[in-house]
Amino acid sequence: MLPNRSRLSVLIFLVPPLLLYGVAVLLPIVQSLFLSFFSWDGISDMEFVGLTNYIHMFTGDTVFWHAFSNSLGYLVICLVLQLGGALIVASLLTSLRRGRNIVKTLYLLPAVISTVAIAFLFQRIYSIDPVGLLNQILGWVGLGNLERAWLSDINSVLAAVSIPEGWRFTGLYMLIIFAALLSVPQELEEAARLDGASRWQVFTKIRFPHIRPVWITTTIMATTYALRGFDIPYLLTNGGPGQSSELLTTYMYKTAFTSTNYGYASTMSVFIVVECLVAVGLIIFTLRRKDEA
Amino acid sequence: MKKTLRTTAIAAVVALALAGCSNGSGGGTSQTTDIDPSGAIVPRPISWLLSRPADGGVITVMKQIADEYAKDHPGFALNFITTPDRPSYIQKYETLAAANKLPELFDTDATPFAQKLAKQGTMVDATKLLTSLGLYDSYRPAALNYQRFDDGSLYMIPFEFQLEFIWYNKALLQKAGVAIPKSLDDIPAMCTALRNAGITPIALDGQDQWPLERYAAYHPFRTAGPTYVQNLKKGDAKLSDPAGLAAADWLSKLGSSKCFEDGFSSTGYSDAQNLFTSGKAAMYNIGTWELSSLATDKLDPAVRSDVDYFTLPTTANSVTDANEYVSPSGIGMAVNAKTYDPLVRDFLKFALTKYPSAIAATGALSPTTNVTTTIPANATPLYQKAVDQSNDVGSKIAMPWDTQLDPTSNTRLQQELTLLVQGNTDPSEFVSTMDSTIAQNAPAAFK
Repeated sequence: MLPNRSRLSVLIFLVPPLLLYGVAVLLPIVQSLFLSFFSWDGISDMEFVGLTNYIHMFTGDTVFWHAFSNSLGYLVICLVLQLGGALIVASLLTSLRRGRNIVKTLYLLPAVISTVAIAFLFQRIYSIDPVGLLNQILGWVGLGNLERAWLSDINSVLAAVSIPEGWRFTGLYMLIIFAALLSVPQELEEAARLDGASRWQVFTKIRFPHIRPVWITTTIMATTYALRGFDIPYLLTNGGPGQSSELLTTYMYKTAFTSTNYGYASTMSVFIVVECLVAVGLIIFTLRRKDEA
Repeated sequence: MKKTLRTTAIAAVVALALAGCSNGSGGGTSQTTDIDPSGAIVPRPISWLLSRPADGGVITVMKQIADEYAKDHPGFALNFITTPDRPSYIQKYETLAAANKLPELFDTDATPFAQKLAKQGTMVDATKLLTSLGLYDSYRPAALNYQRFDDGSLYMIPFEFQLEFIWYNKALLQKAGVAIPKSLDDIPAMCTALRNAGITPIALDGQDQWPLERYAAYHPFRTAGPTYVQNLKKGDAKLSDPAGLAAADWLSKLGSSKCFEDGFSSTGYSDAQNLFTSGKAAMYNIGTWELSSLATDKLDPAVRSDVDYFTLPTTANSVTDANEYVSPSGIGMAVNAKTYDPLVRDFLKFALTKYPSAIAATGALSPTTNVTTTIPANATPLYQKAVDQSNDVGSKIAMPWDTQLDPTSNTRLQQELTLLVQGNTDPSEFVSTMDSTIAQNAPAAFK
C-alpha cells in the first residue's frame, strides 16, 4: 500500500496519458460507432439510417466479404512469416557463438526502412516487364514456367502483398523472442539433455513453455498489426486487380475518402475494432488454456 | 462499474457534440455570390489547393504572375498547395470540403461531389465571373464545355487544353505488316499481328487505372455518343444496352488479343511510357501534355523519326465524327464563394488576362483562342502537327468516365475493367456487376 502522497503523485502521472489515450483512441472509436448509424457524405446533412449500414455490410456487400477473407489470408501469411520465421531464426541464433549482432542487425534492417521504399522495392522485385529479381531468379534456376506478373495475377497477388509485410517485421519479433530464449535457465536444458531429451523435446518441454508469456504478447502484437495492415497492399496494388488484394482496411479507406461514404466506412471500422478484440480474446483464451493444461 | 458507465456516457455525449459540430459545418444552402463585390482591395496571402505537377507549366506561369501582382500589392502572396497524384488529391480536397476548410482557390473536375458543392453555394459561378471580367468569349468552347456539369452550368475555370492521341511507332507496325486502324474494331486483330511479330501492341499504365478507363469510354462514345455516359451514370442507361455490351465485348477482345503489356495492371506511368519510347511497344495512348517528351529531341533518336500519332478511330456506325475524341481542358480551378472578395477578384482578373500568352509561350496549348502556341526550338514536326490539330476539334467531347461516374461505381469499374481485360471475368459478368453497382450507388450521388 502506497502512502497517500505517493498515491497522489502516481495519479498525477497516470491521468494525463489516460486522458490523452481517451481523446486519441477511445473517443474516435465511440465517434465511429455513432457515425455508423448515419449516412453522411461529409458535405450534406447527416441522415439517421439505423442499422441499415450494418445490414448492408453483412448481407448485401460482396466486396466486404471478399475483403474480409483476403484479410484473413493476409493475417495467416504474416503470422507464419513473422512468428514462425522469428522463432526459427531466434532459435538458430542461440546456438550461434559469433556474429550474433551482425545477424540481428541484418534481420532488423527491414523494420527501419520506410514503407514506401519497401513498396517500391517489391514492385521492382515482382515486375515482369522489365523483368524483376524474382522472375529473373526463377529463369536462372530453370523454373521459367513459373514466371509471372506476381502483382497482376489474381492467384498470386494476395501472397505477393503479404510477404513484404511479413518479411518486414520478422526481425523485430525475432529480437523479442531471442531475448526471451536467452532467459531460459541453462541448467534446466542441460539436465534435460543428460536425461536423454532430444533437441525437439528440449524445445517443446522447456524452451517454449518458458517463453509462452512473451509468445502470447508477440502473437497479439503480430495479429493486431496484421489485421490493421494497410500501407503495403495499398501502395503495391491499391487492392487490385479487381478485389484480389483488397483488405478490410483498404476497402474502408476507399469507402471513406474516395466514395465519401463516412457512415458506411465507420460501420466497417467498428467491425475492425470488434474483429481485433475477438482475435486478442481468442489468442489469450487458447494460449492460456494450454498453459494451464 | 458505476464509474465505467458514467465515463462511457460522458464520452458518448462528447462524441455526439463533436459529431454535431462537424455536421453543422456541412450542409449549407445555395446562395448567390456578388460577382463584383464592393470594397477596397486589401492584399493578403491566398492559397490554391491544386493537383498539378510542381514543376509544370501552369504552376510555373502562375507563380510568375502572382509575383508580378505582389509587387504592386505588398502583402499579397499565392501559396500553391499541390498534390499531383490525383486520387490522393481528391481525398485531400474532399476531406477539406467536409471540414469546411477549402482555401480561396481549389482544383476539381466536374464530378458529382463538385456539383453538390456548387449547389450548396461553395463555388463562384464561373460563367458570371469570366463574363464580368470580360474574358468569357476568349475561351475555347471545348475547353469550357469540358468543365461544365450536365445541366450546362460552369463553376470551374480551365488552365489547359489538351488532345489525346494514340501515338504509334511506324517501324513496328510495318514490321508486323499492319496499318493504323480505321475502326476501333480493327484493333484486336492488329494486336494479334503485333504479338505474332514479338511486339507489345499497346503500352498501358494500368496502375493509375484512368488510362484503362479511357478505353472503356471510347467504344460507347463512337456508337452511342457523349450522352451515353451521362445517362449511364444516373442509371438511365445500362451497360446491358447494345452500346454497353459492344463495349464490354470489345474490351474483352483487347484482353484476349493481348493488346497490353504483360502485367499491365501493376505497370506505372513512366514504365508504360518507357515501353513506347524505347521502341518495345507499338502504340501508346496519351495527351499533348507529353509533347515535350514525344515530339522534341528529348525522344530517343532510335525511334524519333518512327513516332507519329493518329486520333481515336471511329466505328462502322459511329455517331460521333473522327475529329471528336478526348480533348480535356484538365482539372479546373474553382473559386471558393465563402472567401471571394475584391482582392480575389482583382487577382483573378490580373492573372487570367496575362495567363494565356504566358502559357502559350511555354509551348503548351492555351484554353483560350486569342494566343498562338510557341513551338519550341527542339521540336520535331509532330509538335506543330499536334498544335494545328487543336484548331480542328469537333463539338462533342469524349468525357473521361472517371470524372462522370459516382466515386463508388467508378472504383468498382476500374477494378472490374482490369479483371475483364485480364480475362478473369467475361463480358456478361462485367456488365451485370457494373449495372447493379451503378443502380445501387447512383441514386444517392445524383439526388
